Amino acid sequence: MIFFEIAKRNIRLNLLRSFLAAAGIVIGVVAISSMGMLGSSLTLSVTDSLSTVGDSVIIVPVVGQPGQNMVTTESLITGRQLQQIVRVVAPNEAVPIYAGADRIEIGPDKAVAALYGIRPDQIPLMVDIAEGIVPRSTSGALAGATLADEYDLKTGSRVKVGNETVRITGILEEQGMGFDINPDNALIVSERWYSTTYDQDNYDQVIVKVRDINDIDAVKLAVERTLNRRDDEVTVYDTRMILEMIVETFNQISVFTTAIGGISLVVAGVSIFNVQMMSVTERIKEIGIIRSIGTKRFEVMRMFLYEAFILGLIGSGIGGILSFAGGYIAISIMLQDTSYLFNPETLFYIPYGMGIGLLVTIVSGLYPAWKAANLNPIEALRFE
Amino acid sequence: MEEEVSAPVCNGEIPEDAVIRLEEATKVYSLPFGDVVALDSVCISVMPGEFIAIMGPSGSGKSTLLNLIGSLDVPTSGDLYIDGRDTRTLSDDELTELRRDRIGFIFQQFNLIPLLTVLENVEYPMILKSRQAVKGNSRARDLLLKVGLTEQMLAHKPKELSGGQQQRVAIARALINDPAILLCDEPTGNLDQATGRLIMDMLSEVNRRGKTVIMVTHDADVAAYASRTITIVDGKVA
Ligand SMILES: Nc1ncnc2c1ncn2[C@@H]1O[C@H](COP(=O)(O)OP(=O)(O)O)[C@@H](O)[C@H]1O
Ligand SMILES: [Mg+2]
Repeated sequence: MIFFEIAKRNIRLNLLRSFLAAAGIVIGVVAISSMGMLGSSLTLSVTDSLSTVGDSVIIVPVVGQPGQNMVTTESLITGRQLQQIVRVVAPNEAVPIYAGADRIEIGPDKAVAALYGIRPDQIPLMVDIAEGIVPRSTSGALAGATLADEYDLKTGSRVKVGNETVRITGILEEQGMGFDINPDNALIVSERWYSTTYDQDNYDQVIVKVRDINDIDAVKLAVERTLNRRDDEVTVYDTRMILEMIVETFNQISVFTTAIGGISLVVAGVSIFNVQMMSVTERIKEIGIIRSIGTKRFEVMRMFLYEAFILGLIGSGIGGILSFAGGYIAISIMLQDTSYLFNPETLFYIPYGMGIGLLVTIVSGLYPAWKAANLNPIEALRFE
Repeated sequence: MEEEVSAPVCNGEIPEDAVIRLEEATKVYSLPFGDVVALDSVCISVMPGEFIAIMGPSGSGKSTLLNLIGSLDVPTSGDLYIDGRDTRTLSDDELTELRRDRIGFIFQQFNLIPLLTVLENVEYPMILKSRQAVKGNSRARDLLLKVGLTEQMLAHKPKELSGGQQQRVAIARALINDPAILLCDEPTGNLDQATGRLIMDMLSEVNRRGKTVIMVTHDADVAAYASRTITIVDGKVA
C-alpha cells in the first residue's frame, strides 16, 4: 500500500533518528521482558525448592513471652499442651518434635548436625526413607540425604553424637527446604533417645498433618482457641499460608522489576512521540500537498501510524531477540541455573514485552498522526 | 411587491448549468487582531470547457478564490456549487473525494511528493481513488510520456528534474483521474518564459479536449491564453 511505502521511505530517509527511537523501544522491551523472565524464574525456583506441600499446621511456642510460666530462656510446648492439641486436632495426627543440634563424629570427621527427635511410628509422616528402615531401638538414627552423601554414611554406619553413639538404620530422600523440619543435613533420632540424652521433656514444636486440606483453617482455629484462650502461648502457622506469602512476595518482586522495565518503555514512548512530532512538523507542506490532491484525514493518519508501527515492530523484534539473551544472563547470574528459562511461564514474557513495546509505540504515535490528519490543508500548503 | 424588496441572488446572473457557481460567496479569515475579508460577496460562474484567467494585485484574494473552487475550503457565507453540488453541505471526506475525482491542481511550486518517484507521483491520486496498487497499469506512464518526459526519468525523484519537467509531472498528476476542472495557481510563476510557454501550450491543449481550466496569473501574456479574464481587487470582482 502506498501509505505504508511512504512511511517506510521516510524512516529510511531519517535512518539515524529512527534507529535511535527504535533503540529506546529495544531497551524498554529487553528491560520489561528480561525482568519479567527473571522474576518468573525466581518464583519457579523458589516454589520448586520448597518441599512442603501445604498440608501441615506448625505449632511453636511464643518466644520470649513474659510471664510466670517462663521457666527457662527457651519456651517449649509442654506435655499438657500436647495432650490438648492431640485432642482438638483429632482425627488428624499431631507430631511432637524435639529439635536441636550437636557435634557429631564419623570416624575421623567432626561436624555439627541438626537433630530431630520424633516418635518412630510418626517418622514416616514427616520424611521419606530412601533406603533402610525406621529405627527399632532407641539408639537407631536416620541420616539426611546431604549429610549421608557428605560423610559417606550407609545403613549400619556408626555416628558419635555428643558423648553417645547411634547406628544408622536408614538414609532419607532429599527433601529440600521446608517450613517444619529441614532433614537433609540432619539426623533423625527417636524421641526417647533425644529426651534422655538431652534431658528435655517439653517439645520444640508440634506439627499437625492435616488429611483434608480444607480442614487447615479449622485445625488452626481449634488449636488457637484452646491454647491461646488466656495468654498467647503458641503461634500457629500453616504451610499453605507461608507458601502463599512467599509466592506473593516473589510476585511482588516480579511486578516491581517489570515496573522498572515499564518506566524505560515510557521513556521510549516519549522518544517515539518526539520523532513522530518531528516527522509531522518537517512534512507540513507535504501533508498539505497530499490533502489537496485528495488524501483523506484518516489516510494521512494511517500513513503516520504506519511509521510508528514500523519503528515499534523493528524495536520490539530486536528487543524480543535480545530479551532472550538478557533473560538468560540475568537468570544465570541470579540463579546459576538457566533451566527455568525454558518454562512457558518464563518465555511468555518475551511476547508480552514485545506486545507492550508495540502498543507503547502505537499509542505514542497516535497524537502526532492525529495532528497531521487535522492540519488545515490550505495553511499546510502555504507553509514553507 | 415582495420580489422587488429582496433582490435575487447575484441579480439572477448565475446560470443553473454552470460547472462552478459562486453566489455571493464571502471568505473571512479570523485573526487575533481582527477579521480579514479575503473575498467579499463574489458572484462568479464558469461554464464547462471555459479557460479562465484570474488576475489582480497581490493579496487581492485570488488564491483564496482558487482554494474555494478547489474545495480546499468552504465559504464563510454565500454558496458555492461545484458540478451542481452544494459544497457547504459536504463533509470533509466528501470534499476530499471531490478534489480527488473531479479536480486537478497545478501549483506554482509544482508540489510533487518528494518521497515518491516521478511515476509514483502520477500514480498516487489513482491509487487513492481505486484503493489498490496499480502495478502494471500503463496510464500513468502513457500520460508522462505524452507530457514529454522520457522513460528513464520515471524512476527519478522529483528533485532530480528541472522546474519545467516537474511542472509536466504535476500536469500528468492533475490529469490522471480524468477530472472535469483543472485549477492552476500561477503555473508558470517559477519557470522561464520559454518553458512557461510550453506549459501554457499544454494547458491549452488540455482545455481544447474539453476540460475546464481556471488559472491565476500575474502575467498578461499568460492570461492571453484564456478565453475570459476575471479581475479581483480587494476581494471583489472588478
Ligand atoms: N490562511 C489565511 N489566514 C489568514 N489570512 C489569510 C489566509 N490566506 C490568505 N489570507 C489573507 O487574505 C487576503 C487574500 O490572500 P490571497 O488569497 O492569498 O491573495 P492573492 O493570492 O491574491 O495574493 C490577504 O490579505 C491574505 O493575507
Ligand atoms: Mg496567491
